[in-house]
Amino acid sequence: MSQIALELKDVKKTISKKEIIKGLSFNVKQGEVYGFIGPNGAGKTTTIRMIVGLMKLSDGDIKVLGKSIQSDYSEAAKNIGAIVENPELYPFMSGWKNLIHFANMYEGISKDRIREVVKLVGLEKVINDKVKKYSLGMRQRLGIAQAILHKPSVLILDEPTNGLDPAGIREIRQYIKDLAVKENVAVIISSHLLSEIELICDRIGIIKHGELISERSVNDQDDSKSEETKQKVLLDVEQVDHAEGILKELEIPVNREGGQLFVELTRQEVPGIVKQLVNKDIAIYTVATTKVTLEDEFLELTGGNVIE
Amino acid sequence: MSRFFKLLFNELMKIFVRKTTWVMYGILTVIVIAGIILTITTDQIETEYSDNWREELKQENENLAEENAEMKRGSEESGIDFGVTYFEEQINKNNYYLENDIKPLNYGAWQHVLDNAGLVSLISLFTIIIGSGIVSSEFRWGTIKLLLIRPVSRTMILASKFVAVLLFALFTLIFLWIVSFISGAIVFGFEGFNPSIVLQKAEGLVYVPLVGEVLTEYGYNLVNLVMMTTFAFMISTIFRNSSIAIGLGIFLMMGGNMVVQIFSEYDWAKFILFANTNLRQYETGNVWIDGMTLGFSITMLIIYFVVFIVLSWVFFNKRDVAGQ
Repeated sequence: MSQIALELKDVKKTISKKEIIKGLSFNVKQGEVYGFIGPNGAGKTTTIRMIVGLMKLSDGDIKVLGKSIQSDYSEAAKNIGAIVENPELYPFMSGWKNLIHFANMYEGISKDRIREVVKLVGLEKVINDKVKKYSLGMRQRLGIAQAILHKPSVLILDEPTNGLDPAGIREIRQYIKDLAVKENVAVIISSHLLSEIELICDRIGIIKHGELISERSVNDQDDSKSEETKQKVLLDVEQVDHAEGILKELEIPVNREGGQLFVELTRQEVPGIVKQLVNKDIAIYTVATTKVTLEDEFLELTGGNVIE
Repeated sequence: MSRFFKLLFNELMKIFVRKTTWVMYGILTVIVIAGIILTITTDQIETEYSDNWREELKQENENLAEENAEMKRGSEESGIDFGVTYFEEQINKNNYYLENDIKPLNYGAWQHVLDNAGLVSLISLFTIIIGSGIVSSEFRWGTIKLLLIRPVSRTMILASKFVAVLLFALFTLIFLWIVSFISGAIVFGFEGFNPSIVLQKAEGLVYVPLVGEVLTEYGYNLVNLVMMTTFAFMISTIFRNSSIAIGLGIFLMMGGNMVVQIFSEYDWAKFILFANTNLRQYETGNVWIDGMTLGFSITMLIIYFVVFIVLSWVFFNKRDVAGQ
């Protein structure tokens, strides 16, 4: 559908003889929001630092709109905007001066453009205050402002909603989606909040031990899974023991958790089972398919442990 | 090139927006004014000569001779020989005026600027502090991550930082001149647009234009400033730690001469940076180590300077910016 904005080709990074990134390849298209997740020490931050040019590649190449960050750094960097980890800005300067400072590092960013961005992130009232007086949320917004000043084609956000209140999170989420859809920006997000990633991203890549172990679309998930594959279905019934007996008779594996029953069914099987239970005079309060959350899948893929 | 000026503007903005910088300027002003107050209260300087200046100079010489005799007696008792004393030098100068029938200059703004040349070491101190922080602070604040992801080469960023430090020194120097000149003009008076005075040089007493003397005096002091600032800048870039850079920079600025003295008996002592930073030694003829020439010292200074810059550049350009 659209052009590839960011391309990683067999990227490797060796730090003091230890291979941290072992041949990482993926593409992000224009207008796509890509979630980049992985457990602690998987190489997420290292990868992001290589994309933005803070670290050099040991092998492979990274291209931004076809321009290599190794051979054509300044052309590539022109099209990248980023917040790497926390948005650390100059605390002793006002938000406005901070933006002027970063705008000076590009060509042709007008004061009007800066004002426009300030308005976009909703910092008009405090833009002349010193950054040290800002709350974490305000700093996060200023961080986003400096990342989009120059209208980059690739936006890299490390923990973009960290420190924001729920209203702020929703706003930023909406804003990122808008950027992707309207401005055709490729957005790469890494976040602790897997539910957040799920809400915001079109595609997700999971990295472990410096390798991409899974990559998939977020939206495809429901359609493909619902028809053929078994889903976990929750049954909330009055006569739990009785219902469990009936299900066992039907040779359906059943799990009892507290006062609720969980069974693995395909979509087509659900009405039949419900009918059977109703016929046996079981009072049913709830039948619901429980979505396999990204978190479950993530833990399954990465083998648990702490999530970065 | 305009890109470079924008980067330079950024760096200067970051220096001058901070309170620390203005405290430095405050300290400098206070010291200049304190110096004036001290001069007035202790009455060290004959500020004015009237039309009867020949008589006044003779009178001054008599007083100086008395004080000198007193000091000589003191030094004979303690067994220390001071050589040509300050008083003798002053008497010689006064005699030069009398012999050549030149009316000595009243003390004023220009001479005040010249007398404050010693404050360049304070400016060196401030510049070392600024130079030590300009790279390492970006790492400390975490802003290096926002600085090095722009379409600007690291070389250009480092260059803008170094030039900004030198400009800071230049601005501070101009500030010192202005404050010294204005305060001197107000308190002591103005000597005219191109006054001359008698000075002790290697070849003897000479009558020279004051403005030229101001520029040479400051120029000699600037050599040390530039070298020590570049050194501190390098240390700060390599270790990303401003404390080490400030500490080493100031220690060597103060103790550099001592280092040379310790090793002065060795032939290789002339290759030590601090043996070469005082270019005045060639003017006065009082060369520290035999065999050194002005050309040699300038070559050594250039070599040290280039080494400092290249090392800073290599470390700044090659280093990966890893997480904290």
